[in-house]
Amino acid sequence: MLKCQHLVEKADALVDGSPISLRERLALRLHLMMCHHCRRYVRQLRALLGFLPRDKQPLEEAAIEDILKKLDTPQDQP
Amino acid sequence: MADIQLEDPQFIEQLRQGDRAAFGKLVKGHHNMLLATARTLLSPADAEEAVQDAWIAAHRAIAKFEGRSLLRTWLTRIVINQAKMMIRKRGREVQFDPTNDPDALAHRFHGDGHWQHPPQHWELSSPDNLLTREELRHCMEKHLHFMPDSQRLVLELRDMQGLPAEDVCNMLEISASNVRVLLHRARARLFEMVDHFQETGEC
Repeated sequence: MLKCQHLVEKADALVDGSPISLRERLALRLHLMMCHHCRRYVRQLRALLGFLPRDKQPLEEAAIEDILKKLDTPQDQP
Repeated sequence: MADIQLEDPQFIEQLRQGDRAAFGKLVKGHHNMLLATARTLLSPADAEEAVQDAWIAAHRAIAKFEGRSLLRTWLTRIVINQAKMMIRKRGREVQFDPTNDPDALAHRFHGDGHWQHPPQHWELSSPDNLLTREELRHCMEKHLHFMPDSQRLVLELRDMQGLPAEDVCNMLEISASNVRVLLHRARARLFEMVDHFQETGEC
């Protein structure tokens, strides 16, 4: 049977939807059915990813204007 | 969602025609995301400069953008190239070799691959824990700061910005398996950190 350490190494694909072979997915699912430590690991890994700061605020108008202005001025050569 | 409009073919055509208002919209929607990317590799001041230079480069090149990738992937790639250039100017280099940093969870297993120290139960979801969540966020920022640059960058691109893994491989010019390992190491570090926080209440 799949070892817990192996599951932890492969579980990333389960939480972020990366491609994974059907055979591997089944092996992971089977392990999870039988191992509550690994179930907890996967559940909390999901929670962790949900906790990461994600939404970047749009820039304010004045700052946008500053950037656009610099596009028009010729750049100093390095 | 703003992001979808910013990938719209009609909008991209406006950009290619040099429409200033459209470019302003692009800056508005993506600037802070690009800044976050640059900050994973550079100091805040250098990051500002890199993104500013990236906008100039993007503005110059947008007419030639062919839409073979997402526009935000294209922009991110420009920012990363600017950041790499700046790092080289500072006499440093980003190491993308994932093997020079151990897996933060490896010590939790017996030699036979079974858990020796299984994860704690986390109490993150209870709404009365706002103070704890705030502390946890600080702690996370601290750990992000000490993480190897390459891990922090891959985590930002994949988990915080949700860029496709394939795009991340291409823009960093590293293999899919290296992206996977870097992402796993980054997540393992944070998992270890939150678990420690849950157990001890300390960062």
